[in-house]
Amino acid sequence: MVKIKHFLFLIIISFPFLLFSQLKFDSKLFSSEIKKKAKEFNEEFNFNKAQYFFLENNWDSTLVYSMKQLSSENKELNDYCHYFRATSFNNKKLFKEAKKEFNLISSKFKFKYKAKLALGEIALKQNEFRKGLKYFKEIENLPNSSIYDLKKSTVFHNIGLCYLHLKKIDEAEKYLFKASKLQELEKDTLMLIGSYTDIANLYYEQYKDAQAIPYFEKAYNLSRKVKSFELKQNATLNMAVVEENRKNFPLALTYRKEYEAWKDSLNDQNKVWAIADLEKKFAIKQKQKEVDVLAAENKAKKAERNVFFISSVLLFVMFGAGVYFYRQKAKNNKIILAQKNQLDELNATKDKLFSIVSHDLRSSVNALKTSNGKLMENLKHKNYSELDVLLHKNSSIASGAYNLLDNLLNWALLQTQQAYFYRESLHLATIVQHVEFNYKPLMFNKNINFRNDVVAADHVFADLDSLKIIIRNFLDNAIKFSKENGTISIYTRPSSEEFCYLVIEDTGLGMKESTRKELLKETILLSKKQNDDIIGTGLGMQLCKSLIRKNEGKLDIESEENVGTRIIIALPKFKNHG
Amino acid sequence: MDNINVLIVEDTPAESDALVEVLSENNYNIVGVARTHQEALTLFYQNTIDIVVIDVFLDGKPDGITFAETINIVPDGQKPFVFLTSSKDRQIFERAKLTKPFSFLMKPFNELEILYALEMAVEKFYEQTNVFHSEDQNTVISRDSLFIKKNKVLKKVQIKDILYIEVEDRYCNIITDAEKFVILISLTKIIQLLDPAKFCQTHRNYIVNLSKIQQINVNDNLIILKGNHKVTLSDKYKDFVKNFRILK
Repeated sequence: MVKIKHFLFLIIISFPFLLFSQLKFDSKLFSSEIKKKAKEFNEEFNFNKAQYFFLENNWDSTLVYSMKQLSSENKELNDYCHYFRATSFNNKKLFKEAKKEFNLISSKFKFKYKAKLALGEIALKQNEFRKGLKYFKEIENLPNSSIYDLKKSTVFHNIGLCYLHLKKIDEAEKYLFKASKLQELEKDTLMLIGSYTDIANLYYEQYKDAQAIPYFEKAYNLSRKVKSFELKQNATLNMAVVEENRKNFPLALTYRKEYEAWKDSLNDQNKVWAIADLEKKFAIKQKQKEVDVLAAENKAKKAERNVFFISSVLLFVMFGAGVYFYRQKAKNNKIILAQKNQLDELNATKDKLFSIVSHDLRSSVNALKTSNGKLMENLKHKNYSELDVLLHKNSSIASGAYNLLDNLLNWALLQTQQAYFYRESLHLATIVQHVEFNYKPLMFNKNINFRNDVVAADHVFADLDSLKIIIRNFLDNAIKFSKENGTISIYTRPSSEEFCYLVIEDTGLGMKESTRKELLKETILLSKKQNDDIIGTGLGMQLCKSLIRKNEGKLDIESEENVGTRIIIALPKFKNHG
Repeated sequence: MDNINVLIVEDTPAESDALVEVLSENNYNIVGVARTHQEALTLFYQNTIDIVVIDVFLDGKPDGITFAETINIVPDGQKPFVFLTSSKDRQIFERAKLTKPFSFLMKPFNELEILYALEMAVEKFYEQTNVFHSEDQNTVISRDSLFIKKNKVLKKVQIKDILYIEVEDRYCNIITDAEKFVILISLTKIIQLLDPAKFCQTHRNYIVNLSKIQQINVNDNLIILKGNHKVTLSDKYKDFVKNFRILK
């Protein structure tokens, strides 16, 4: 019994080896066929992927892509896909799935026999010998022409094995011999060792030791030539068992020892493989670590670069902003400087104005004071004729001071933009008349001949109050600069489309060309005092110019020394419609 | 012709006295001088007033403007007015400006200026500007009166007193119950300004107050008015007769 156990053990362990060699063998021919198909259907991306992974023995990926291909429209490739899937399952030891897939392959498939062979092998593995036998028999019966790349020896061998297991010794013997003969012809040593071993086992089981032993020895001798430790081990073990049973213990021992040696070397090899595997794994790990480190370094570098980039952009923006603000500031400074200068000028003007005005007022009031003292004196002495003269003098001083103050007030209002300013249609002749009315006594005193020749139809578009101030000031000046018995006339020149020209003419002192130009200058500064006695502060002139400008008018002066002066005020005409 | 009735609203006696004097000299009839806002309102509604002269500041407050605003509320009670002010304060002016029609006079002012201001106030109020200082017109016509500037004096004639108007070139002879005088206004303008329900043209040269007609003699082309004034009726204008209910 012990013997039989050993044999069974041997047989069973020889299967994977057999199947393995078979698959590897036929793959070459099959793969070229698959590649052809792939080229034919190179549009089918999934199929290409599936066949690529199939040939690479990457079963999982093959499963995924073949599944995808199956779900596509193209049915032509379905058999290939099923085959891929079946083989993949088979290799993954999922026999149930593999069987299912193999059965799905249609009978038209060029390599259907491969599927059958595989099915048979699966059956063999699962100890369903009858089933296996059926598959193998089908293949055996196929004509040689339709079996492209399959070795009949394998089929025979498998059939033999099936019979062996089914205890049909005669049949088994027949097929195994057939197989061994074919293999001898094909010089397939590996398979031949399997066949010899199986034949030996066959005989040994029938206790035909004499027939069995030569096969064992043949297998043993062949095994010495091959590199497979497994085969050597099996063959040696078989020899050991045979010698043991022959009670040839020393020889058995030698075989045993050899067996042990092969086993050890196999183990060693396994160990070496395992170690190599471990080392490989370790190396991979190491590499992975390195890769990780590099990746991390890259990440850090990237981050660093980003930081650098962002910071440089920020710096640039800040620099730009800085330049912009600096420029803005410089511009503002310029403006501020200009404004400051202007303000300084204005302030100087104001100060000057202040001093001149206060000086004038002081002298006016002082004159009044002394005049009043004289008045009282004369009143005491009842000198009435002198009183009249003094009173007239007083009133003229007072009116002069009043005019000055009035101008001052108007100037202040104009400067601070507080004055009410409303332009409307004004009857020029009437306005002149109104202004003149106040100066009648003064002109009478100086015996000045006054004429108002303003055309009654002239209407101007101006602010009433400012127009009055303008006329008042110029009339005042005209009277001031006129000699006794002089003539002052106010009239309008023929007007243009837009302007009405009001002329105030006197036969007075006149002025130099330089003074005339000075007066017409567009300046905010007061003109200088030249003649303290007659020329006033210049405030009136400035006020008039400003007011004329505000009324959108123009000023011109015509003058000749010792002949007279013409002040020409151009004022916008009133237009009823627009 | 009547004098113009003026109400003065002024709290400073010295100034109001001067004003009264100047205006009286120029044939204005001073109805009264009000010192306060309340007094002004009382005087304004008790008397027939043609023009009001208002000092903006009464007792330091801009009550003058308040008064102007008050009288402006009653639509038919409005009268022309002139503001007197010594302040050029813009805010005050902005407020005063809202009491349209707005005319003002800066203090101090002379005789000519106040008279001018009053005339301007009338012109602006009745929206007939550039009348009193133009050469071809001297009359402003309101709903019930004619304001006539005659010899630099502003006078008034009640429209209801007019019998008829005789047009002569650029002049119009105004004939009332009591007197007859000439004004300077064109025929087209006077017809435009008179109420067509009360006045009607009967001839190229005649405009008749309808309420004064006593007899129309169509055959003789004659209209006889109150006071036995006779006016010609020309064929061209006979149509107006249809406006009357004729007794048969």
